[in-house]
Amino acid sequence: MNERSAPVLEAEGVRKSYGGVRALRGVDLRLWPGQVHALVGENGSGKSTLLRTIAGQLVPDAGRLLLDGRELRFSDASEAIAAGIATVTQETTLVPDLSVTENIFLGPRKVRARYGIDWRATRVRAREMLARLGLTGIDPGAPVRRLRPDEQQMIEIARAISIDARVLILDEPTSSLSDDEVAGLFEVVGALKRHGVAVAFVSHRIGEVFDIADRVTILRDGEVVGSDRIDRYDRRGMIQLMTGRELEELELDRSRHRAKDPVLRVRDLSVSGWVHDASLEVGRGEIVGLAGLVGAGRSELLQALFGVNGRVSGSIEVAGVKMGHTGPLHAMRRGLAYVPADRKNLGLVLDMTVRENVLMARTAARVRVRRPRRVAEQREVGESIGAFRIVAGSQVAPVAQLSGGNQQKVVLAKWLGTQPKVLLMDEPTRGVDVGAKAEIYRLLNAAKAEGVGILLSSSETPELLLLCDRILVMFRGRIAAALSHDEANEGLIARYAMGHE
Amino acid sequence: MEARDLQAGARIRQALSGQTARRAWTAASAQRFLAVLLLLVGLFVFFSVTQERFFTSGNIDALLTSASILWVVSIGLTFVMIAGGFDLSLGSMLALTGIALGSFFNDLSLPIGLAILLTLALGTILGGSINGFLIGRIGLSFLVVTLGTLILFQGALNLWSDTKTEQVISPFLDSLAFDDLLGVPIPVWIMAGVLLVALYVQRSTYFGRDMYAVGGSPEAARLSGIKVARTIIAVYAIAGMLAALGGVLQVARIGAASPLVGEALIFDAAAAVLLGGTSFAGGVGGVGGTAIGVLFLATLQNGLSVSGVESFWQQIITGAILILAVLLDKVQREGWSSLRRPGGAP
Repeated sequence: MNERSAPVLEAEGVRKSYGGVRALRGVDLRLWPGQVHALVGENGSGKSTLLRTIAGQLVPDAGRLLLDGRELRFSDASEAIAAGIATVTQETTLVPDLSVTENIFLGPRKVRARYGIDWRATRVRAREMLARLGLTGIDPGAPVRRLRPDEQQMIEIARAISIDARVLILDEPTSSLSDDEVAGLFEVVGALKRHGVAVAFVSHRIGEVFDIADRVTILRDGEVVGSDRIDRYDRRGMIQLMTGRELEELELDRSRHRAKDPVLRVRDLSVSGWVHDASLEVGRGEIVGLAGLVGAGRSELLQALFGVNGRVSGSIEVAGVKMGHTGPLHAMRRGLAYVPADRKNLGLVLDMTVRENVLMARTAARVRVRRPRRVAEQREVGESIGAFRIVAGSQVAPVAQLSGGNQQKVVLAKWLGTQPKVLLMDEPTRGVDVGAKAEIYRLLNAAKAEGVGILLSSSETPELLLLCDRILVMFRGRIAAALSHDEANEGLIARYAMGHE
Repeated sequence: MEARDLQAGARIRQALSGQTARRAWTAASAQRFLAVLLLLVGLFVFFSVTQERFFTSGNIDALLTSASILWVVSIGLTFVMIAGGFDLSLGSMLALTGIALGSFFNDLSLPIGLAILLTLALGTILGGSINGFLIGRIGLSFLVVTLGTLILFQGALNLWSDTKTEQVISPFLDSLAFDDLLGVPIPVWIMAGVLLVALYVQRSTYFGRDMYAVGGSPEAARLSGIKVARTIIAVYAIAGMLAALGGVLQVARIGAASPLVGEALIFDAAAAVLLGGTSFAGGVGGVGGTAIGVLFLATLQNGLSVSGVESFWQQIITGAILILAVLLDKVQREGWSSLRRPGGAP
């Protein structure tokens, strides 16, 4: 590419410590116009710290930032934005009830009329922005609340480029998007590249990095352990650099798939507006996957099984026993466990300790005025921490302090501790890094070996192909196809997920 | 960065016993009211040095007994706030139950012990079945519901008492308010008893954990099988019962059932709870901090009145210190740079 031209943004020798922890130990990064530069590394490797430094959200302890060769000193994020460095993170910063136009030009950037705002001209400019990104299907007058998550992400990007950003930071933009939405996002990124924008891209999905990046910088423990053109690396080598070790090969046990007696049998389950007449079975020790686009009803199906929202029809049997639709506690008593996709709000109580979170579900049925037996609990949780390889300061560390992967392991420990017959799991590895991902797969495999039936919903097709004995593909609330492990592949799943026969 | 930090420390720290770790955590949560505790000690020393009438056993007894009503009500409010709610009605609940006690004793001529038990039951039932039920089971906003019951209880007690203060003459109530047991005033025994029971419930029962879980994230608690509605009903019932206990103490102290008491009480109680490190956001804090908060307010009031300073100064200082305390707490947890971010966390 045009590497002989000057980089638009350079970071040199950036250092940053928090307390005694050195998050960045002298990191260099160069971003060239018209290139996508991927930043990869495990949680805690310093990616976020580096990006937040570039975005002016953090002041580094040492090192300099150069934009077009001129040194920058930000004391506030708004100065970075004014300099043309825009950030889009996984957390949406849109105002849901305002229109697309208002969101794109949020703040004092609307076209002024003589008195007040010239809404017509502003809307025309919004339409231009959307067109530049190839988003002609979005109505600039629609409230953002009505858009799909991937469309909302595009609006964030539109807002970023509306300030004529020369550097765009995309921090895990794909973590809540399904495969086809990711493809849409990548088209937009391609359009930005053609306009000469330098894109810094962070993702935990290694496949995506190879799909979109021109260059890659690999961070480990706050240091750059590799930085080069993407074609100089292969997947395995990159993971090895990130983790600093050989990734253990996952030995998945496929011996028991389709065991005789189903532990979960669902007939004609419907949730009005979301799921229509879904019937499925999960056998003892079987992992069944749910594939489909975001909004296809996967999450709603899992929620209905666990009784999260009531108001469902159809029959559910767990290990041959009929289940009513009376809520989570009832579902738990019947032997179901549910790991929601939204770990921070639904899976855990972040203010509470690791111990309290691990114990929360398994003690829910005990008499409330009873005194918990501290010693027994301490031992029990200690065993869980060991078995699930949870890295935590102590049992009584607030769970909020843990990395995403360790938090997810706490959620798994919490639910597998209830000795469930069936584990329902929504997005098992969202926001989890490569190393922790492999551990979570190992834990799921261990649960499977103990005879737990697992129903797994995921937006990441490779994950389903790796783990599942069977894959059910959902389309608009219906189960459109059931594929065995041997017949399933990405192309076939994508076809059914889009509604093709 | 955090993961790395934890990883480094994990092996060492896991080798330590859970006991040590628990102490570390208790210390961390104690930090939330550490500033107020230091202020309390400072205030105490200041008044002791400057006012010779302050640090006398008579005055300390007076300081503590005068705080007894605020103490019990604030402990009830703490439970509600840990569970993520608030109860505006506690002041009028206190007045209403005081009137009820007078009526049970004078009009129905019930024995005083039974009258007190009925009063406590009334507070529990009103708190649980109106506030708790509407908020926990029906899912209405706690501010609206308890504002409603604040006004409703006020009307009810004015009707019941005909807006008149009625004498309640009972030797038992007198001794409840003014006698000593083993050299310690009985109200102080009651305060200690309530605090110890509350600490036990908060720290050592599953219900205590439920309060924190429900306050931290009601939806996560529900998905974990915790009975959220029941937990919420219980905290409002407990708050109602403790407000009724406050009502009993109030009647005992003034020797009469008055419709005019408790009006500004909820503001002092909220101040004490917030000073003690329990937040409006729910899921954090505890009754230990609240006790410190109440003692701080009581010491300030007593010390200033001993010094002959007008009582309005007490309000000005309390208000300023409350704001200062949350400011310090924010700086301590998020650093100075967090102060420029607008928005105002609860």
